[in-house]
Amino acid sequence: MKNVRVWFEKKNTARYISHLDLNRCMSRAFQKTKLPLWHTQGFHPHIFLTITMPLSLGMSGLRESMDIRLIEEISNEEIIEKLNGALPLDIRVYDVTEPVMRPSEVAFASYEIDYEPENASAEEAKAKLEELLTREEILVTKHTKKGPKEFDIRPYFQDMQLYIREDGHLTASHRLPISVNGGVNPTLLRDAAARYLDLDLFEHITRTCLYNEKMEIFQ
Amino acid sequence: MQISNQLEKLLAKVQKPGRYVGGEQNSIIKDKTKVKTRFAFCFPDTYEIGMSHLGMKILYGLLNEREDIWCERVFAPWVDMEKLMRENHLLLYGLESGDPICDFDFVGFTLQYELSFTNVLNMLELGGVPIRNDQRGENDPIVVAGGPCTCNPEPLADFVDIFFLGAGEEVDLEVIDLYQKCREEGKSRKEFLRLAAQIEGVYVPSLYQVKYHEDGTIESVTSTDGAPATIRKRVILDLDKAYYPKSFVVPFLDIVHDRAVAEVFRGCIRGCRFCQAGFIYRPVIEKSVETVSRQCRDLCASTGYNEVSLSSLSTSDYSKINELLDELLTWSKDDMVNVSLPSLRVDGFSTELTDKIKTVRKSGLTFAPEAGTQRLRDVINKNVHEDELMKTMDIAFGAGWSRVKLYFMIGLPTETDEDVTGITRLGQSVVDAYYNCATRPKGQSVSVTVSAAAFVPKPFTPFQWEPQDTMEEFQRKQHLLKSSITTRKLTVNYHAADTSFVEAVFARGDRKLCAAMEEAWKRGFHFDGWDDCFSLEKWMEVFEAVGIDPAFYAKRRRSFDEVLPWDHLDYGIQKKFLIEECKKAYEAATTPNCREKCSACGAACFKGGICVEKRPSVV
Repeated sequence: MKNVRVWFEKKNTARYISHLDLNRCMSRAFQKTKLPLWHTQGFHPHIFLTITMPLSLGMSGLRESMDIRLIEEISNEEIIEKLNGALPLDIRVYDVTEPVMRPSEVAFASYEIDYEPENASAEEAKAKLEELLTREEILVTKHTKKGPKEFDIRPYFQDMQLYIREDGHLTASHRLPISVNGGVNPTLLRDAAARYLDLDLFEHITRTCLYNEKMEIFQ
Repeated sequence: MQISNQLEKLLAKVQKPGRYVGGEQNSIIKDKTKVKTRFAFCFPDTYEIGMSHLGMKILYGLLNEREDIWCERVFAPWVDMEKLMRENHLLLYGLESGDPICDFDFVGFTLQYELSFTNVLNMLELGGVPIRNDQRGENDPIVVAGGPCTCNPEPLADFVDIFFLGAGEEVDLEVIDLYQKCREEGKSRKEFLRLAAQIEGVYVPSLYQVKYHEDGTIESVTSTDGAPATIRKRVILDLDKAYYPKSFVVPFLDIVHDRAVAEVFRGCIRGCRFCQAGFIYRPVIEKSVETVSRQCRDLCASTGYNEVSLSSLSTSDYSKINELLDELLTWSKDDMVNVSLPSLRVDGFSTELTDKIKTVRKSGLTFAPEAGTQRLRDVINKNVHEDELMKTMDIAFGAGWSRVKLYFMIGLPTETDEDVTGITRLGQSVVDAYYNCATRPKGQSVSVTVSAAAFVPKPFTPFQWEPQDTMEEFQRKQHLLKSSITTRKLTVNYHAADTSFVEAVFARGDRKLCAAMEEAWKRGFHFDGWDDCFSLEKWMEVFEAVGIDPAFYAKRRRSFDEVLPWDHLDYGIQKKFLIEECKKAYEAATTPNCREKCSACGAACFKGGICVEKRPSVV
């Protein structure tokens, strides 16, 4: 028996597959490939698979991963080829590796965020957001299991750098805490912009990578 | 499809955006410049419901088999998405290309349920297609519709160009072939429709004129332009040779029926007198064991589903059910596929059957005795006896089930209060059967749920002349039902009769109701099958605005010699047979099922299926 980590991208239409639905989609893909996977041994056996870290609905993911358990030796190339044949086109598997870290070690995620201001130019929006990030406190309402909670996002966003790309888009690359128990979602800045600046931002978010506590790339 | 920036912005604001993006496994993408005909298959309800529908899967596969046709899927956007689409002027689109449905050659609807009719008009408008058939020009799509409700499509006669009667597998392609030919020859829309009307199973409502008597009943229906006087439905006689998809589109979202489905037969041998499907899908035509098994296996291989359901109107009536289950077991276990059986009859549940499907999770069991007393069950020709129900319950409880759902109807013809309270009495007997069963699950309590639906008389049934109960009568009976419960192990569910009333109006409606449909559309009606949207009060305002008395359609007893709005549609069943059946119902006399004895209903005119099989009694 051998644990392997399967790496994939999740883009375009696949952004709208929720975490639960992704689990089912992957199980079905494996069922089709007939790869020699370990099944849980309970009363209703099913394929054992763990998706490293849920991705919010609507976000793209470039370096997503899941762990499976093989019961026979099989080449990485074969796993990649068979899985891609069984998955929808907007989910593409590109690598299979031996797991180095445990999913529970994940502590940070990096994002590429493309902002489209709906009621301001990119330059205006950039200036307003930069001003916002210098404030003492930036409160947003966070929806937790215990109900809505006021939450100060400043510590997490204060060092965020905004750029105007050549095509005129306002973008940012940023790292935020994430863990199996929750984290700081990049969309919270949009909520703050609406609340403090009356600035409506539409955003395209791509999760690019995961890291551990020491900022080492998740492998 | 590629998601546009405009769409992406809307998707960020709606629930379940996965409904609106396509991209699922096995969905079919073609190059639109390389196809001749584009067909938008529209299901007038949500994605989750539409994606569970077998007919759509069959026709989607069938049309896309042809290189020159591209069939796409379209569902009714839920109210949140519809609002945003209207505000942002985004037209309703096909899930494969993202193109608006007004760009298609055909826009096809499946009519499963009368209360989805408002969604048909709403979807046409959302897609930029003129809603009335007389408003559409040469560049507008041809609007077609099939499904069970086309057996009386008159309330939609002003809106749909072509109705398909009966099985769609052949007639759809014949009409598309004709369309391609007419296009090449530069024929007009009108000429195409006139020629299409010559194809068997095609009903072009604009070619028929309806005259009314002063009392509002129909005097005559006359065909024009050489269209046939009566239109006969299409039947597929050999299901082993008929097209069946090797793959299904596999949704990401959790849909209502998320599994592989094989159809084991069409039609039903029973002839329950309230059931439209039992008459309009005659004759019974079965698939062979080999075909069903192969189709199940192909589907599981192409979809990754690990559950396959054997579908039909009454699967335990499949003549080789045990043989089929044995055949499926030769591979399903190794492939880790479970087999499930919906639609089990009370008298079709055996230990042999449960042993073979015991891999299935023991969720609740559902049976439909339909009526509470033997007399009323005989009236409706259900042919199920209480001792059979008790025997079945004993088997089920002994095999470990402890949750049972029983379906009934109230408002059936000849019903008395004793029949109504008979429902709870029967429920109580099932509770008692549990405690009398020695091998019942230990330490568990039993839960019996009794659901009582309000009866809606439907065309092509022996009850097509019957009045529906009044709202007050339904309420009184529901109250009587509720107050007759004596144990907490028994739960009674019923639903307001409001929706059943509107359903009854449209089920047996005529063309005068098109005005009500149009008025309802103008007032923004949609999703009338959903409690979130349905309002009887608003419907009554619509009827009043267009001067229509809904009781004329729902609550009126028709005489046997009245011309009915669907009399020019021929489903094989003869009116004189339905009249006989209606009279027998009043005598509480039953009719044997098709396998026991032929009752000469008229379906033998199709010269196939059970009508030409040798019956055991004859051999």
